[in-house]
Amino acid sequence: MIKIENVTKMYGPTVAVKDVSFEVEKGEILGFLGPNGAGKTTTMRVITGYFPPTLGNAYVAGHSVLDAPLEVKRRIGYVPETPAMYNDMFVKEYIRYIGALKGVPKSELKSRVDEIIETCALQSVSEKSIGSLSKGFKQRVALGQALVNDPPVLILDEPTSGLDPKQIHEIRSLIKSMEGDRTIILSTHILPEVSMTCSKVVIINEGVIVAADTTENIGRGLTESHQVELTIGGDTARVKDTISGLEGIKSVSSSGNRFIVDSEKDRDLRADIARKVVEGGFDLLEMRSHSMTLEDVFLKLVTEEEGVRQ
Amino acid sequence: MRNIAEIFKREARHYYTSPIAYVVIVIFTAVFGFLYFRNLTYYSQLSYQLMQNPYYPQRIDLVMAVFAPLFSSNSIIFLLVIPPLSMRLFAEEKKSGTIELMFTYPVKDIQMVLGKWLASITILFVMLALTVPGVFMAFKFAGSWEWGPVLAGYLGMFLMGVSFLSLGILISAVSENQIVALIISYGALLGFWFIGWAIDPNSGKKIADVLTEFSIIQHLDNFVKGVIDTKNVLYYVLFIFTCVFLSARVLESKRWRG
Repeated sequence: MIKIENVTKMYGPTVAVKDVSFEVEKGEILGFLGPNGAGKTTTMRVITGYFPPTLGNAYVAGHSVLDAPLEVKRRIGYVPETPAMYNDMFVKEYIRYIGALKGVPKSELKSRVDEIIETCALQSVSEKSIGSLSKGFKQRVALGQALVNDPPVLILDEPTSGLDPKQIHEIRSLIKSMEGDRTIILSTHILPEVSMTCSKVVIINEGVIVAADTTENIGRGLTESHQVELTIGGDTARVKDTISGLEGIKSVSSSGNRFIVDSEKDRDLRADIARKVVEGGFDLLEMRSHSMTLEDVFLKLVTEEEGVRQ
Repeated sequence: MRNIAEIFKREARHYYTSPIAYVVIVIFTAVFGFLYFRNLTYYSQLSYQLMQNPYYPQRIDLVMAVFAPLFSSNSIIFLLVIPPLSMRLFAEEKKSGTIELMFTYPVKDIQMVLGKWLASITILFVMLALTVPGVFMAFKFAGSWEWGPVLAGYLGMFLMGVSFLSLGILISAVSENQIVALIISYGALLGFWFIGWAIDPNSGKKIADVLTEFSIIQHLDNFVKGVIDTKNVLYYVLFIFTCVFLSARVLESKRWRG
């Protein structure tokens, strides 16, 4: 549905994004991660047709942003990071206006606007001017203008930034509810948001993509060992000896009755450890596999990149 | 077409709800009305004096005595009141950031320019329309109905006004600050006025004639005398076309530069 091909964007001599390529399939929600200034907004603006890439090309539903920008723009709904809308216009009037500009047929426009007002829960403010709205309502109006032409592709640039927890939850569930119908690119630096809503993740740092995979697999390949965290009742030193005796164990560390066991990569020793502990007469109180969280992956990738450069 | 109409409606409504258009219309009609009143008083005094002396002509031409000088001085009023109408059209959208979303809608740059351009012309039209009752009154008192030359004068003023607006829109597309756009508009319009004086027209140099033809005020002269010359019409039309075309190109270039 969306295809980015070797996109490079330069602002004068500054390279904002460099040779970025990725694809998003129809119905997927892609989380686009990166620290501030990494090139998220720039990449998204290229996809929306806001500006053309310096090199490379981007396609939406097979239409190139360079050759058929209007076709691309007809299929896109975009919510910028800080959506600037006409503050003097009323909510309903504004959504109608944008609907008309985006080519919603005249006969459908009215019902479409009413639908948007309802989906985005704007009934209470539909006759108020946009300038007088709170941040949360403004964000919903921005989402409304993006959705008004029922676009197959949604580009959301940090849609939950600056909202209160309840509003964040509402926006998130609204996004999640569109999974499957629309292809969505969602940029954020709130990492749990990605694990919650996205099926795929692309991490960008200093204009370069450093990782791209499904949300489950993104951490794989980054870990050198498999970690298991245990809570065992019994004499610490003896427990340690018992576990260390197992084949494939790299190291065992402990604090109190909590143990962290590193085993070889791609080898799940949980069953063996459990058996050994129980056989040794200790109490196995808790055990869990310690996989890398998205946050770990993110930090590792972003800081490692910096390390390489220095 | 629909996009132009929608943008036109929004911009026209903005003029309607913001104070700037009202201020401009009030100041314009007040100054125009004052000059008109002064010309008319002078005209009636003069006619009275002429009537006392049988050796002088008994009637003087209303158009030449009242309207031609009035319409000529209108170029100065326009120069002062028109740039405030055009200054915000693009500068404000760039400053507030609303242009970002505009650029992601399936709207062509030229449609954006034309919509805003037409909305500003509406205000110009209202301004000129408000002066019509005064003209009507003068004819009523004078008892003559020489509409032709006055209509030509109005056409000239309208074309000149649209030229000013078009140049203002171009400058608004370049600038990000309304006040800067306003001041550059004043500078540019004065420049287009004074260019005719750059070289003494009596010096016999060919370049002097060329520069005179460039002058934006110069081309109004024939209109106010009641003459519609193709050359003058063409000048304004070309001027307007160039400005509108360049505005769209400026927006496009802004996109490419990011």
